[in-house]
Amino acid sequence: MPPIQDIGAFNAVREAGLAKLLPPVPRVAIGMGTCGRGNGAEGIYHAFADLIGRTGMDVKLVSVGCFGACFQEPMVNIRLPGEPLLVLRRVQIDDVARLLQDISSGRITPELVYCKLEEWDHITSTVKYGRGYPEVPSWTEVAFFKGQKKIVLRNCGLINPDDIEEYIGIGGYQTLYNVLIDGRPDFVVEQVKASKLRGRGGAGFLTGNKWDFLAKSKTDPKYIICNADEGDPGAYMNRNEIEGDPHSLLEGMIIGAYAMGASQGIIYIRAEYPLAVHRLRRAIQNAREYGLLGNNVLGRGFKFDIEVVEGAGAFVCGEETALIASLEGQAGRPRPRPPFPAQKGLWGKPTNINNVETWFNIAPIVSKGPAWFSETGSTKSSGTKVFSLVGKVHNTGLVEMPFGTPLKTFIYDVGEGGSTPGRAIKAVQTGGPSGGCIPREMFDTPVDYETLQQLGAIMGSGGMVVMDEDNCMVDVARFFIEFTHSESCGKCVPCRVGLDKCLRILTGITKGIPGMRDRLEHLDELARMIRDCSLCGLGQTAPNPVLTAMRHFRTEFEDHLLARHCEAGVCQDLALSPCENSCPLRMNIPRFLQLYQENQIEDAFLSVILDNPLPGSTGRVCQHPCTMRCRRQTLDEPVNIRDVHRLIADTVFASNNFESIVKRIIARKLEPTGRKVAVAGAGPTGLTAAFYLALLGHDVTAFDEKPEAGGMLRFAIPEYRLPKAVLRREIELIERLGVNFVFNTKVGIDLPLNELADRFDAVFISIGTWKDSWLYLPGTELKGVHSALGLLEKMSRGIPAPIGPKVAVIGGGNAAIDSARSALRAGAEVTIYYRRDRSDMPAIEEETLAAEEEGARIVFQALPHRIIGDQDGAVRAIEIEKTRLGEFDKSGRRKPVTTGEIQRYECDTVVLAVGETFDLDFCKASGLELKEEGTLIVNRFTLETSRPYFYAGGDVITGGSNVSNAMGFGKQAARNIDERLMGEKRWDRLFPEFTYSQQPPAEPSGSRRHNGHLIELMLRSRSNEEVVTGITPKEAHEESCRCLRCDVKTNVSAS
Amino acid sequence: MPQTISIRIDGELVSALQGQTILEAAKQAGKYIPTLCYFEGLSAVGACRLCIVEVAGTDKLLPACTTPVQDGMSVTTTSPKLTQYRRIALELLFVERNHVCAVCVSNGHCELQNLATSLGITNMRHWYNYPNLPVDLSHKRFVLDHNRCILCTRCVRVCAEVEGAHVWEITERGISSRLTSGLNQPWGQVTDCTNCGKCVQVCPTGALAEKGWAVEEMVKQNDNISGLAHRKGGQ
Repeated sequence: MPPIQDIGAFNAVREAGLAKLLPPVPRVAIGMGTCGRGNGAEGIYHAFADLIGRTGMDVKLVSVGCFGACFQEPMVNIRLPGEPLLVLRRVQIDDVARLLQDISSGRITPELVYCKLEEWDHITSTVKYGRGYPEVPSWTEVAFFKGQKKIVLRNCGLINPDDIEEYIGIGGYQTLYNVLIDGRPDFVVEQVKASKLRGRGGAGFLTGNKWDFLAKSKTDPKYIICNADEGDPGAYMNRNEIEGDPHSLLEGMIIGAYAMGASQGIIYIRAEYPLAVHRLRRAIQNAREYGLLGNNVLGRGFKFDIEVVEGAGAFVCGEETALIASLEGQAGRPRPRPPFPAQKGLWGKPTNINNVETWFNIAPIVSKGPAWFSETGSTKSSGTKVFSLVGKVHNTGLVEMPFGTPLKTFIYDVGEGGSTPGRAIKAVQTGGPSGGCIPREMFDTPVDYETLQQLGAIMGSGGMVVMDEDNCMVDVARFFIEFTHSESCGKCVPCRVGLDKCLRILTGITKGIPGMRDRLEHLDELARMIRDCSLCGLGQTAPNPVLTAMRHFRTEFEDHLLARHCEAGVCQDLALSPCENSCPLRMNIPRFLQLYQENQIEDAFLSVILDNPLPGSTGRVCQHPCTMRCRRQTLDEPVNIRDVHRLIADTVFASNNFESIVKRIIARKLEPTGRKVAVAGAGPTGLTAAFYLALLGHDVTAFDEKPEAGGMLRFAIPEYRLPKAVLRREIELIERLGVNFVFNTKVGIDLPLNELADRFDAVFISIGTWKDSWLYLPGTELKGVHSALGLLEKMSRGIPAPIGPKVAVIGGGNAAIDSARSALRAGAEVTIYYRRDRSDMPAIEEETLAAEEEGARIVFQALPHRIIGDQDGAVRAIEIEKTRLGEFDKSGRRKPVTTGEIQRYECDTVVLAVGETFDLDFCKASGLELKEEGTLIVNRFTLETSRPYFYAGGDVITGGSNVSNAMGFGKQAARNIDERLMGEKRWDRLFPEFTYSQQPPAEPSGSRRHNGHLIELMLRSRSNEEVVTGITPKEAHEESCRCLRCDVKTNVSAS
Repeated sequence: MPQTISIRIDGELVSALQGQTILEAAKQAGKYIPTLCYFEGLSAVGACRLCIVEVAGTDKLLPACTTPVQDGMSVTTTSPKLTQYRRIALELLFVERNHVCAVCVSNGHCELQNLATSLGITNMRHWYNYPNLPVDLSHKRFVLDHNRCILCTRCVRVCAEVEGAHVWEITERGISSRLTSGLNQPWGQVTDCTNCGKCVQVCPTGALAEKGWAVEEMVKQNDNISGLAHRKGGQ
């Protein structure tokens, strides 16, 4: 190929290139970026090549770069002449033969087709592929691409990066040619200035101004450098840009060189990107051959060449002065600025450095004009930015969006929400190790340079790492500091030593090293000092992850330091095992499983009951958060922990040895202290507190407004889920420990708090949420409208339920399901109306499924509109309004949005189960402070209220919750009340030593999970008999063997 | 002849020469700004960050040793924030390595120690790193004690810029950075070393010292080195 010297030769190449892109034969293009290759694209390429060779089909096979949707790799584009380009996803080698058959038959089966492109705007030209395939969505209709605007990625994944003719074919190098013919370099600089393009490397300095500096400099030679030293963990847009479309970079640089009068260009790229380096070198060689680089560019007398320099991968070399030092053969350490590179850069000569993506934007700006460019984006940041959306999000990949797009669009629309069911997204980390974490409450934030900076994060190179509830923000901060710490060059003191100190403190917090309590302030002070005093951008931004984490997630830091608890279960040194960490009662679960496995039933029971005073009841109704992070589910399913401890409790309560075990428990009681503690409310929270306080030797009196203890367990949870006999035995045991019960006494009304203060040394308030939230709905005054709790309480007391044959239940929590199932047992026909979707229901999933089996109908996305009565004032029907799922709200769930569609259902009874509340005005009167939402203010760690010696726990501080959470508070309160009353830590004295094996299983047990057995549908749906029979001793033994014993931590020495 | 301009230092109007750094202008005007890695006559590297000052119109703290003066600039050399940050920088240097003044040849004549005293540092709030560091005794006249090195690179610069021998360099990076001689050889084996001792004399602490001195006895004689550097045409 002789170098192009005139427009005729150029146009000939252009036509040849376009013909390659739109051949008269089928064209198959395999996405062969690093992401595609990692997913097997090479194998697919060879499979196609083999089969095409063998069958002799007339098919053009090429490799292209990445189209952006990395979660759908390997991707293949197929285009038949005259038809749209079809983008296929997750193509496997097995699919190749069938696809070729499809090609020869002239019709691609839509099974693997992700989307279609009927035409494509390459910015420098538009390619029309053809129309057809109406059943296949266009690329703009696919969630991942919706709203994206591809300026930088205009060619990626569509043209063959190794073929310069294809690039010229879609209008490439045309802009360069025009610029050279035009012959006004200063006009190009003006255009870039007017476009307000900002550097895409992270700092966002105006590119035009930088160009102007260099253009005005009279020194010769001048250098331009492309910074392709991309090194942020989780960011890879520069790599894919170069792999997919290297000529766009070259064209931008040649235009830039002409505009600024530079004669030498250097691309500094990290050696860890071998494919990008390879394609870049080939592109440069081709550009030289075609006369686009060299002594006479396009025959216009302009001299410019580009050299590729491979960097060794030091993160700090992304800092321009360090990059220059590295190019000069010195250690990559930054120099102070001024002098700026534009004054004194490479070899002391004026130098301009721009990021890969900045160079990619040049040709479109010059070709279409600055006004076109600044149409896109926000006022201060024009154009688009490529982000790498990764982490705990469903759709991952490269996303090119206009500046100013809100974060939630990226995460919930493009990313389609969290990747793990049941885990809400917590935060997004932008800007890599120099960026910060933005909590989900702030997902409305538009993404541009200024707003991100205000939140303490940065744009950086455009990494976006999504995190969910399984990510510990302290650990995330530690991870990023570990990275910058190891990448610090060591030149300036704040970054070298300061980051080392930060890392030590953060490691200390995540490992639970004692003596760290006051370190949070040191950490904050240190982080600010590093930010304000460091020499270069690495140090100045390195503390951002710590500062933002402390700003937005301070409670997590406090949890680690003050409660030794990592909510996300990441910091393993703070927990015994994932199950123990997730249990609100922090039960030593591996211990009782092992004891049961060793047939030490009595010890297993002692272990269980000393951790959880209501083992039989919780064994039936607990939400079992323990299984949430059980590691067994990485093999098959989590261990059925709840049913094992239910069986242990049931077995021992019914055994002949029960009395001897009770003696063993009573023997654990500490000597009487003479201190008196009142417990207001004998529900699960109060019972738990009373149990431990009695064990600790205090004189405990528990008050309750009801005639019996047990709270919600007794009066709200129906008999068929929790037989009252089970609960009664457990309460009896608490009584035998010496707890006095006073019933039918309402604390605050019958017994003022101030009187309790006189009679007792400490008071624990644990009344439940007995007041139903009432829905403001027309028709709630009608006869036949009931509250769920009122109804459940009546039924649990054996009073016949005042319900008719057709019942409508409104709500989606456990109370809704319980009332529905109770109504079924009373012979009614039941429909549940819930405003969100099934996956958002707060009720325990098994219970919902059982209710449906028993005949309850659930209508989702249905918001009550009004209740209609007849002339007697009785309920006749309910009207609901259909909802659709709208945007994600701050809880990470989709908000139900009304649609206006009203549906009417006949019924005669309506049960409102829309949450519970309480009346705590009496607390206010006694000097206890309340939050705005009406709950009591307590110290999160001690549970002490604003009034000394008054403690509170359970629903009164959290609002309606569940039994295990409530009991967790009771346990925590007892421990703190004791410490406060006695002035010493006596808690550990309650617990005996257990002897059990400390060997993890050599091989995981092969048995599958056993679930509790539901009794037969015929029997259960019309009776109050307990519906789940639990598991058998043999099954329980197998379950206990399935435990992987995460609690056994052996130091494996690195030998 | 460079142009004379006016700047304010701590509110006081002083004259400075175009091209001077803030530090040079301040010195000329008799204003004190603490420094540690800076050494008159050698190139400034802005590494220790003790000379940071506030300049009106920017939120950034700028190192006085490398920031050129501009006409009308208003510089603040002392503020509660600057003092706090300078103290932290010194604390970090102290905990980074094993600075035990009581057994140091430079005790009483140490720039690090003097700065700490003048900034009122009496104890460290951070834990010491206690790194396990060697002492290079291979040179016949001098000692390199890594425990006392603060990586200011004065020795690197004086050797390269004044003596022209290029014996010293920094190896590794981050917290693992170490001063190294020759091709990572013991100092005594580096044939490039001219034994001139300039590195020893410019060293602000007891990291580089002459053999034969006991505790407190090593007094650095470096007044003439700046003059020498100026004659050599250094910066």
